[in-house]
Amino acid sequence: MSDSGSAALSDVRFERVTKRYGKAVAVKALSLAIPRGSFFSLLGPSGCGKTTTLRLIAGFETPDEGDVFIRDTRVTETAPYRRDFAMVFQNFALFPHLTVADNVAFGLRMSGVAREERAKAVEAALAMVKLTGFAERYPKQLSGGQQQRVAIARAIVMKPAVLLLDEPLGALDKNLRESMQVELRSLQRELGLTTVFVTHDQEEALTMSDSIAVMRDGVIEQLGAPREIYERPATEFVATFLGASNLIDATVVESGNGSSQVEATFGRFTLAGSHPAGERLRLAIRPERVLLKPGRDSGALPAIVRDVVYRGMSAHVFLESGGLPLLAFVQNAASAAIDWSPGQEVGIVLPAESLVRLNGGAQAHG
Amino acid sequence: MHIILLLLAGLTYLLVLGPILIVLVTAFTPTDFFVFPPPGFSLRWFELFFNTESLRGAFTRSIQIAIVSSLVATLLGTMAALFVARRKGWTASLLQTLFLAPLIFPAIVFGLSLLLFFKLIGGMPEFLGLVIAHAILGMPFVIRAVSSSLLAVDPVLEEASQSLKAGPFRTFGLVTFPLIWPGILSGGLFAFILSFGELNTALFLTGPGVTTLPIEIFSYLQFQGGQLVIAAASAVQVGMIAIVVLVMERLVGLGRVVRSK
Amino acid sequence: MASGSFRLTRRWAAFALVAPPLLVFLVFFVVPLVSLFWVSFHAPSQSELYGPELTLEHYATILTDPFYHTIILRTLSTGAVILALCLVLGYATAYVLAPLPPRKRLLLLLLLVVPLMVSNVVRAYGWIAILGRQGLVNAVLRDTGLIERPLLLLNSFEAVSFGLMTIMLPYMVISVANALASIDAQYKEAAQSLRADPVRTFIHVTWPLSSPGVASGMLLVFLLTLSAYVTITLLGGPRMKLLVSLVFDSVGSFRWPLAAAISFALLVMALIVSGLIMALLRPQRVQGRG
Repeated sequence: MSDSGSAALSDVRFERVTKRYGKAVAVKALSLAIPRGSFFSLLGPSGCGKTTTLRLIAGFETPDEGDVFIRDTRVTETAPYRRDFAMVFQNFALFPHLTVADNVAFGLRMSGVAREERAKAVEAALAMVKLTGFAERYPKQLSGGQQQRVAIARAIVMKPAVLLLDEPLGALDKNLRESMQVELRSLQRELGLTTVFVTHDQEEALTMSDSIAVMRDGVIEQLGAPREIYERPATEFVATFLGASNLIDATVVESGNGSSQVEATFGRFTLAGSHPAGERLRLAIRPERVLLKPGRDSGALPAIVRDVVYRGMSAHVFLESGGLPLLAFVQNAASAAIDWSPGQEVGIVLPAESLVRLNGGAQAHG
Repeated sequence: MHIILLLLAGLTYLLVLGPILIVLVTAFTPTDFFVFPPPGFSLRWFELFFNTESLRGAFTRSIQIAIVSSLVATLLGTMAALFVARRKGWTASLLQTLFLAPLIFPAIVFGLSLLLFFKLIGGMPEFLGLVIAHAILGMPFVIRAVSSSLLAVDPVLEEASQSLKAGPFRTFGLVTFPLIWPGILSGGLFAFILSFGELNTALFLTGPGVTTLPIEIFSYLQFQGGQLVIAAASAVQVGMIAIVVLVMERLVGLGRVVRSK
Repeated sequence: MASGSFRLTRRWAAFALVAPPLLVFLVFFVVPLVSLFWVSFHAPSQSELYGPELTLEHYATILTDPFYHTIILRTLSTGAVILALCLVLGYATAYVLAPLPPRKRLLLLLLLVVPLMVSNVVRAYGWIAILGRQGLVNAVLRDTGLIERPLLLLNSFEAVSFGLMTIMLPYMVISVANALASIDAQYKEAAQSLRADPVRTFIHVTWPLSSPGVASGMLLVFLLTLSAYVTITLLGGPRMKLLVSLVFDSVGSFRWPLAAAISFALLVMALIVSGLIMALLRPQRVQGRG
């Protein structure tokens, strides 16, 4: 996204697109380019504008301002059925009155593909989603996972410029969802299909995407690779929406040599990067990055264990330090590793490289 | 395309509502014959309607038959619905088919068969015969309305009631009935409406001196031409329906009125 | 033992619940129809309701007499005209109503439901008041000097078909509107995402998915048309007879077995046309079982 010259290689492009519903703004001056062949996720809570963004690509919604491009063709006012995309719907939207084969052939038939060619393509698509032999069944006679595959086959058989996925895994149960995630991802890689995926499930987005756009209130809060989004969240919203984060307000005391000393309510610690002294910062640190040490140790900050929740693979240790609640995840790597008990005095270490400075600065309240 | 659809929809409303509106306008005409536009407003034809023994008698008899037959239909229909609605299996679906059959069964055939049956068993008073016929025609509507109410009641509520030491009767009285009464009421009111306008069985089952309002209107139209007192009689029919529909809307809501048909 | 007797009690309670309505139905619905069927196979009698000899003569008459052929054909063509008009007007209206917000849709449907509750004799009278010799149309035409003698607009095939159609029309609208409103919007979007333009979306998706509503509307319209003696008589006059009129004529002349046989001919016609409607529209395909 860094250089605008790469537009030629993007399959979907938004230029300052705004969409309003009455007074509510669903998507606000959104600019976006989705690189060819990438798996791109729109992630956010309901009402953040992610579904509207997807529907703007499809043409089910028309922007109030700005332009939409698919493969460098301006499609802002183009009807959906003239756009080069395919879509997998939330509840699959398989036509109940048509067989699996007729469902998959539908788009080809509408595009005027000859019957024999159609049959071949359908067969290949069904083979790709491992549904050979199900061609004459009706959607009602299939399981949820099978319906999902038909929906995918119906979309990929179109060889679209872009594949749109509207929370397609939401209707499946947990185990099936996880295996479908893997399958969908490998199918996408195999075909090199540019894919836009809408989800509110952060784990799913992290698992599947090449890049993720975290949306809130119609704007993209942060866009980047999954690891970047998770480990270097730009805003408090991103830090808390994707997994848990400890939020700490601190003031820079002194700075130099590429690091700064900052002070929070519970003590002083080091932060990577130079910051002007006196600046107030809002910091985030993932619970799994907080290190716990038994007793009071020099160099560690004092804290008290309030509660411990055993989770099998790990333990969630709820701490309090200088009036601030903190959370630490402790790996169950050795039998003594998670042996913390409420009331215990402990020391915590916040590694400088794990602390992330959030945009927007510290808030007035603690 | 859209304009054409809107025009067709407009035409539908015109064709469906037009005749009824004309009847209502005609009923208030002061002149002896229909003149358009009506030169004024008068209640003289309503006066004549209520002063004509045969018409007034038919009107009160229609109301009596509608009340009694809809009560019977409500009682029997609710019982049937309680049995049929939540049961699966062939017995229940067979019974359901039987009970709902009058909805689509040509009523004229049913009317003829009842008339013949009554003759075969040695006769049946007209009033009672009409009540029986209308109760059977009204029952499917009650069963349908009560069934849909019953299916909306979560059976867990009844189990919860029983777990709280209420027996089957108290569970019905304290839990089920309060939740399904709108269905019972709208079914019953619809059975009333149906009976009040019914023609096909009434054609066979009314007798000399014992007719219903719709049949009386029919024979006036057939044998004495379109006198304007018939417009008044028709307006009374429409007015009565309007009142019941309003009551229904107030008590059970718009959705049920529309779904009742 | 205790649980066994409890089970027994419950079974008896359920039986007590269904027995009264079932009894009423058997005695006053099933038995009369069976006896009507029985009577239809008997010779007529001067003194009794029917004669003692068994015969197929009434059915044979219906099947062979050209008079009956004319009437049956006329009944079918009236039905076909009514179905076609109801389909066009009803589907168009339902198509306009279906996408409206629920409250608005219900109010507009109510405007069509209430006329269904008004007695058909009143609605037929409405058409007499419009089309009759002293009706609205003639009154207006006479007052504007366009005609001197009143036009005869009633007592014809057209008057019966048209009048009956307007009486049945709401059934079609309601039935189709409910079917259309219950189609998930995602299906239309899916069709568009698969390159179907609006016309093809309608042909391949909307129409087949609405077919259960169309089928039930058509069945209802046709079955009620068959019985609509009063409307047919008022708008068609003494000469425009349909099959149902013959049932009355036979009763009027006390030929009970013939009336019974015509009734069952009517039922057979109802079944055949219902089967045709179902075969043409295949509403069961929406269930996804072929």
